[in-house]
Amino acid sequence: MKRLLALLLTLAVVLGGAVPALAETTLEKISRTGTLTIGTRTGSPPFAFINKQNEWVGFSIDLVEQAVKPAIERKLGKPVKVEKKESTPPTRIPLLSSNAVDLIAGTMTDTRTRRESVDFSLTFFVTGAQFLVKKGSPIRGIDSIAGKRIAAQQGSTNARIIRERVPTAQLREFPDQPAAFQALAQGQVDAFTNDGIQLAGLVAKAPNPGEWAIVGDFFSYEPYGMAMRKNESDFRHLVNVGLMEAIESGKYFELYEKWFGPKGEVPYPLTADNKRFMTLQVVPK
Amino acid sequence: MTYEFNWSVLWSGQSGGWLLQGLLTTLEISALAWLLAVALGILSGALRTVPWPPLRAAATCYVEFFRNVPLLVWMFFWYFGIPPLLPRGVQDWLFNHGAEFWAGTFALGVYHGARMSEVIRSGIQSIPRTQFEAAQAIGLSVWQAYRLVILPIALRLIVPPATNESLNLLKNSSVALTISVAELTFQTRQIETYTARAIEALTAGTLIYLVLCVSIAAVMTRLERRFAIPGLIARVGAG
Repeated sequence: MKRLLALLLTLAVVLGGAVPALAETTLEKISRTGTLTIGTRTGSPPFAFINKQNEWVGFSIDLVEQAVKPAIERKLGKPVKVEKKESTPPTRIPLLSSNAVDLIAGTMTDTRTRRESVDFSLTFFVTGAQFLVKKGSPIRGIDSIAGKRIAAQQGSTNARIIRERVPTAQLREFPDQPAAFQALAQGQVDAFTNDGIQLAGLVAKAPNPGEWAIVGDFFSYEPYGMAMRKNESDFRHLVNVGLMEAIESGKYFELYEKWFGPKGEVPYPLTADNKRFMTLQVVPK
Repeated sequence: MTYEFNWSVLWSGQSGGWLLQGLLTTLEISALAWLLAVALGILSGALRTVPWPPLRAAATCYVEFFRNVPLLVWMFFWYFGIPPLLPRGVQDWLFNHGAEFWAGTFALGVYHGARMSEVIRSGIQSIPRTQFEAAQAIGLSVWQAYRLVILPIALRLIVPPATNESLNLLKNSSVALTISVAELTFQTRQIETYTARAIEALTAGTLIYLVLCVSIAAVMTRLERRFAIPGLIARVGAG
């Protein structure tokens, strides 16, 4: 018993003291190392993924390279290189807290709960949750899923909403998209819910895209933002200025076209509403 | 910036209830899989030592086939591979009645049964051959010799390695989250989803696993002492 207590105490000390305080701001760190380290996904096309040529690319990564990086370089007056590390929903916030990465740029939905732990940039993409079903399925949206088996990605905001709004739906949560999609393809579940754009990405990559339908109005609002450590207002301002300038100069829409246009990785037209929303986020000089 | 710990997320809101649900699911799947693993382990472990080559070969095939493929693959095999072979109606019934739980139980039980089998076999083979010969000399059949002499001694000898294997089984039950079984590790991730507090949630999960495993080990140690055959195992120090 004594030995067990000693063990638990050791564990508590190790966990409690794991994160040393750093007096350095994010900007000072970037200036000292000459590197902006971002945490991003490896399997979320077209935001951040490894393509067939084995390059780590995507819309979120391009925004960092071509919008955020120039703003930081201008501020620091010297070139900065972008280094990428993989981050997943459970590791995103710890990676930021431990200073392993300076910015999360992937597919992270900005939420009030998350804002208690991290700060977000302005919104760089807007989507919402929908359902992926086999063509001809009776499921038409969130109103027709009672009693049905619904797959979701664990850690997503959509699973949470379904649990709250349709408690009778049988939720099956999988750690990643491929497993959930497999379960849908085989009939283990009747529908797979995720952000509309992620579903579009799955369908675009599926062997027979014609078999699938994305149905239902958005039943959630998923604004994607870039996350950073809290209380770094100078750094956050630079990230935002970079994004605003990209929206202003049209660079943002060029990149949108590159990834989501008719020839892009995942065709997903920009709605007039969303375009307007993006431009309204730009504050005057 | 330092990470600000906020342990209250673990007992506010639904977190406590989720951890409890997760713990129950972990215990259920582990207990059922353990029963299956022990049954398969004793059967195939004993068969690997019997004097009839075809039975030995069959048991060897089972062990080598199931222990040499990763558990994750078996999970997918039982969940994604088996149901399509069944009639559509049966499939639907299964999917509505916890197919993922049973697939996870089977994967865990059959995989650990193969590993348990090796533990039992080594226990049997550590018993001097003369015991078996003596049993046959007093007129017991092979089946009786195993049932009345060999297995009762072997099962006492293998408590330590079997405990080890059982703890592995318990911890490996976390792999079932890949096929959507909402066990303890799944629930710690769930708390992280709702509170954005990964370190606190994982710490809670870690402590629960630790307490579970330490308690099981303690029970098994008592069991070992309780059933020890005097003179069979030389005890060094107090365990």
